Amino acid sequence: MNIPLITDIRGNCLDDGPGIRTIIFFKGCTLHCIWCHNPETYSSSPELSVSRDDCIRCGSCAPVCPQGAISPLHPEITDREKCNLCFQCTGHCPSKARRRVGIPMTVEEVLDICLSDKAFYDVSGGGVTFSGGEPGMYPEWTGQLARQLKDNGISVYMETAGCIPYREVRKHLLPYLSGIYMDIKLIDPELHKRYCGRDNQEILGNFRHFLEDSEELGYEFLPRTPLIPGITDTEDNLRQIAAFYHTNGVTRTQLLPYNPTWYPKAEKLGIRINEELSGLQQPQSIEHLQKCRDIFEEAGIPCI
Amino acid sequence: MSSTMNRRIANLCTAGVLRYFALVFTRVRKYREYLKTKDGWKQFSIGILTEDGSVSQSIWFSDGKATVNNTAKGADTKLIIQDTGVLKQLAVLPPNEVLNLILKNRMRISGNAANMELFNLLISVLMKDRQIAQMRAQAEERKTSGQAMVSGNSTNTHSKRGMTFLKAESTDPGVKYLNDDPYLSAWSLEDFPRLQKFLKIHHEVRPAICIERAQILTDFFRSEGFETQTDGTPWIPEIRQGRAFRHLMEQKKPIIRKNDLLAGTTTSKEIGVPLYPDGAGVMLWGELLTVHERVLNPYQPLSEQEIRALNQDIFPFWSHRNFREYVRDVYHEPLGQQLDERCAATFLWKTVALSHTVLDYPKLLRLGLRGILREIDEEIAGGNTSIQKKQYLEAMKDTCQGMITYAHHLAEEARKEAKTETDPKRKEELLHIAETAAHSPEHPARTLDEAVQAIWTHWIGVHMENTNAGFSLGRMDQWLQPYFERDMSLLNTDTERKAYLAHVIELIGCFYLRCQDHLPMIPDIGNYLFGGSSSDQAITLGGVTTEGEDAVNDMTYIFLKVTEILSMRDPNVNARYHPQKNSLTYLKRLCEVNVHTTSTPSIHNDEAVMRSLQGHGYTQEDIRNWAATGCVEPTLSGKHMGHTNCMMFNMVSALEMAMYNGYHPLMRWHLGPKTGEAGDLRTFEDFLNAFFTQLQYQADLACEFNHQLGEAHAVLRPTPFMSTLMDGCIRSGKDAVKGGAVYNTSGTACIGLADVVDSLLAVKSLVYDRKLYRLEEITEAAGQNFEGYETMRRIILTETPRFGSGNTEAVNMANRVTSFVHDCFRRHTNYRGGPYTTGFWSMSNHVAFGSLTGALPSGRLAYQPFTPGLTPEANASRNLLDNLKDVAALDPVNLDNNIAFNVKVNPSPMDSHETTVEHLASYVRAYSKLGGMQMQFNVVSSDTMRAAMADPEQYRNLMVRISGYNAYFTELNRDLQLELIRRADYKI
Repeated sequence: MNIPLITDIRGNCLDDGPGIRTIIFFKGCTLHCIWCHNPETYSSSPELSVSRDDCIRCGSCAPVCPQGAISPLHPEITDREKCNLCFQCTGHCPSKARRRVGIPMTVEEVLDICLSDKAFYDVSGGGVTFSGGEPGMYPEWTGQLARQLKDNGISVYMETAGCIPYREVRKHLLPYLSGIYMDIKLIDPELHKRYCGRDNQEILGNFRHFLEDSEELGYEFLPRTPLIPGITDTEDNLRQIAAFYHTNGVTRTQLLPYNPTWYPKAEKLGIRINEELSGLQQPQSIEHLQKCRDIFEEAGIPCI
Repeated sequence: MSSTMNRRIANLCTAGVLRYFALVFTRVRKYREYLKTKDGWKQFSIGILTEDGSVSQSIWFSDGKATVNNTAKGADTKLIIQDTGVLKQLAVLPPNEVLNLILKNRMRISGNAANMELFNLLISVLMKDRQIAQMRAQAEERKTSGQAMVSGNSTNTHSKRGMTFLKAESTDPGVKYLNDDPYLSAWSLEDFPRLQKFLKIHHEVRPAICIERAQILTDFFRSEGFETQTDGTPWIPEIRQGRAFRHLMEQKKPIIRKNDLLAGTTTSKEIGVPLYPDGAGVMLWGELLTVHERVLNPYQPLSEQEIRALNQDIFPFWSHRNFREYVRDVYHEPLGQQLDERCAATFLWKTVALSHTVLDYPKLLRLGLRGILREIDEEIAGGNTSIQKKQYLEAMKDTCQGMITYAHHLAEEARKEAKTETDPKRKEELLHIAETAAHSPEHPARTLDEAVQAIWTHWIGVHMENTNAGFSLGRMDQWLQPYFERDMSLLNTDTERKAYLAHVIELIGCFYLRCQDHLPMIPDIGNYLFGGSSSDQAITLGGVTTEGEDAVNDMTYIFLKVTEILSMRDPNVNARYHPQKNSLTYLKRLCEVNVHTTSTPSIHNDEAVMRSLQGHGYTQEDIRNWAATGCVEPTLSGKHMGHTNCMMFNMVSALEMAMYNGYHPLMRWHLGPKTGEAGDLRTFEDFLNAFFTQLQYQADLACEFNHQLGEAHAVLRPTPFMSTLMDGCIRSGKDAVKGGAVYNTSGTACIGLADVVDSLLAVKSLVYDRKLYRLEEITEAAGQNFEGYETMRRIILTETPRFGSGNTEAVNMANRVTSFVHDCFRRHTNYRGGPYTTGFWSMSNHVAFGSLTGALPSGRLAYQPFTPGLTPEANASRNLLDNLKDVAALDPVNLDNNIAFNVKVNPSPMDSHETTVEHLASYVRAYSKLGGMQMQFNVVSSDTMRAAMADPEQYRNLMVRISGYNAYFTELNRDLQLELIRRADYKI
């Protein structure tokens, strides 16, 4: 079984499914979208995150690094060439400026954390949402967790980019899900390859499967599009998506406005921001968002 | 120059200044005037000395002359200053910063406090111009520093926020007439121009000191005697107070505010600050000339005539006849009082009032004062009534007679005004008011108008007898519903019913605004201790009936509508929510009103509160009839003298004394028992026991002082009027302040729970479990405010368990501490023969006490605020649910004076109003399900608060919940404003 690392478990989330929810972020993704809000989940391996803001320059980390990757004078900087990800430094950092991103956890550990908020799910119609990264990369493991959550009367949603092994997901995970939020980012396969790291043939295929299954299995299926300025929010792309939905009988969608707040997170991991995005620091205008919405509304697909 | 030399010079300078002072007040006639009283010249002396004795001088005022003595020995009141450095500062600082020196324990006062206030007045006689210039400079500085809170222009999103009103999805069984939409979503403030006008006055008119009560009572006692009667026989305090009250009500000017639906005012001013010189009124003495210029909450300037009356007549009469001075004189300034007056460990509200209770208003409405008089007569006529009891019952009758006379005066005034009124509509209103006032509260109420007028007139009386601090109105929705139903039942058409409903909303609105016609007198030092508090007149809504059934009714929703459209800090609206009995529709409405008003009502889980009240021997029916008092505290309506805010108690000062073997660093005082140097505390249990020992000692001192103050109330100000509506007092013939009520308790507010728990656990984890540091190292680091110990502080902040982080160990520790504190107070019996109850809320004292406390093992830095009430520390968890779960896990049995748990939420602009309301309702439901007791939302962002600091004029109505009470943000002192901003801001 492919065992995932967890990057974060966040409680009291109100925007990723109905009610009050806990979100589990899985590490690793089959795509590599340049705008990814959670760049710490590109890779399925553990990574080192160093926060300049939290570092108090105490230097506790430098002497414990077996690779000599940390300069005692500038402990906020790590020589990533030298660093072999042994994470010795994180245990010695008093301010937790140095963190290991990606923790192995057992299904039971995650379940316990989720269960502690059950009272809040119950009153609000909430539950747990798998997100990432790509939770669909780990169908057996997430399936076990989803089954146990369901046994405890907790609804489970999954956010996916759809580039996942359908048969296994169908077998291990789908029966326990109450909802799937699936991203459709770009219709043009070339553009998809350019911005997301691979083409979208498999995604569009899986889209049809999940849509069909949703009727049979009775889970909520909601396709969503992140609006990335100049990339996914072009009129061409949105019209193509709307047409694709229309053909497949989709009845509603959700558009996610661009939010550039993830830039500092990338810096802490030593990930460079793609040049096409680095200039985009402002949220989109309300007028522009309305225009995007209108494209779908005109096609008879309301945006929630 | 040697320091000995320096000190000698300081002594000479002090003598020089005092000699100049003496000369001026002896020789210059206009200054000498200030030394006069109605009984002759003022006789008092002030000593000034430093702790090391290097400076020791005194000034003696007697027979219109002042002389200086080269020693402080024997002076009535002494100002004891830390050292000559502080003495020099005294000469240059503005008055409020001098107060700050007292708060910070750089100097302290021993002996009669009124003398020191009088001395302050004399200083201000000479220095007034300079003091005012300094105050104006400070006001300017406050403005500038406020503007620096935001960069550039910000738009006022607060005042522009749209009000979307939800419609109710269902209706409750108790709702009889509002079934169309109990939420009353069709009504808004715009429908009530009268209320709009009053609200404008409320926000814009500056309060004025009203001396009416103080003057009438002083005149009365000067002529009838206070300790003894004119024939020399000692007064029985109850009889004296009964007569005085009757006289006061007979003399009180009957006022009907222009356009008001209710007759009567507590004071003679538009917004008045009544003076209670028998309580803390004399604290204003030093500010008579400058109170209109002070930076925080300035009053209107006092007239020359008022200043003369206060300085020459009223204050001199009361300078020893107040609660604080009674204890000082009789018990020789006991240790508990000394501790209290050092400000850092306790604040006993009993020095101000013995109030904080809920009266039996259903009885007033049912019987009227005539009926109560009959009941008293029957008690007198009953067999074997002792002479004392008879005398007491006669005193009660006096008070009712006085009240009836005042009501008749109101009726006459209304008739008189109706005669000259030209507007026919208003004329009709005035005639109706005249009829209502003539009938109520003398006779049983027949209509809602009469019921509301009866309560209001009586409420005025309550505040003429006793200080306006925390008297609460109780379950008004329950008590008024029968009158509402009766009125409605007589109406035949929808149009009539709609018009009547509009009238009821307006009437209740007028009642709210009447309740804000008086404010507590806050001396300037109080602006730094208790920012922005009104007198906290709690109203309680909803919950269950005495039979345990759903109590929500039409009036519940009408009160909520009024609360919503007026959005005022007081009456302090508290809602009982019973998860088994009350509907989700009702809960959602509570949340909606909270969103619209930003901070009210506070929400109580009825089940948990009622569980906390078990174990006192209360009957189930009485428990079900609980109502919030002052801030949040439960009183069993009409039969429980619970003085639920007898003291504010700092638990953290006990922790500091445990860290330093009984020594309190800020007070520089070896006060507590020797519980061991840090190095001697070998196990965590040793350390915990040291803390518990200090806490018990501090509680013992506070309870002893509280007991002595209880006696002071019995001697100086029994309250026969209030007692007529306190079940038990007529039967026992005993006043409520002497234990006549059926139930008697004293309620404490214990402050700093999260700070204490986090500190204890930091010590446990780092010193005793992981052995990373020694305890001495931690106390040393705290003593240095962690300077040079940044690594240690980060480890504390990131690696030790925190209350509110979903940590079981922290919850267990919090339960252990609350249980100990509860037992610690339960060992004591109050003056009225009842037990103490324990609450965990803080008004604004978490900021004041915090500013007087050094750094803590929790990593909190020196002089920073504690957390409000028992709210977890802001960084305990980024997940609000962790806060909710941990607080809900506290055992209510130890929280029998309730809690204040603040939750600051910031709704997403993307969410609809309905979604936001649903989120809040979900939090309350789950929190209640988990056993949580009380929670209060602040639905306002830190950004809005910063904008309000920058542009206070635009945000006058921005309301915030401090800890238990509401205040207008822009009126708060800086520390309190910043504390609110730093609270965890949970985006929802």
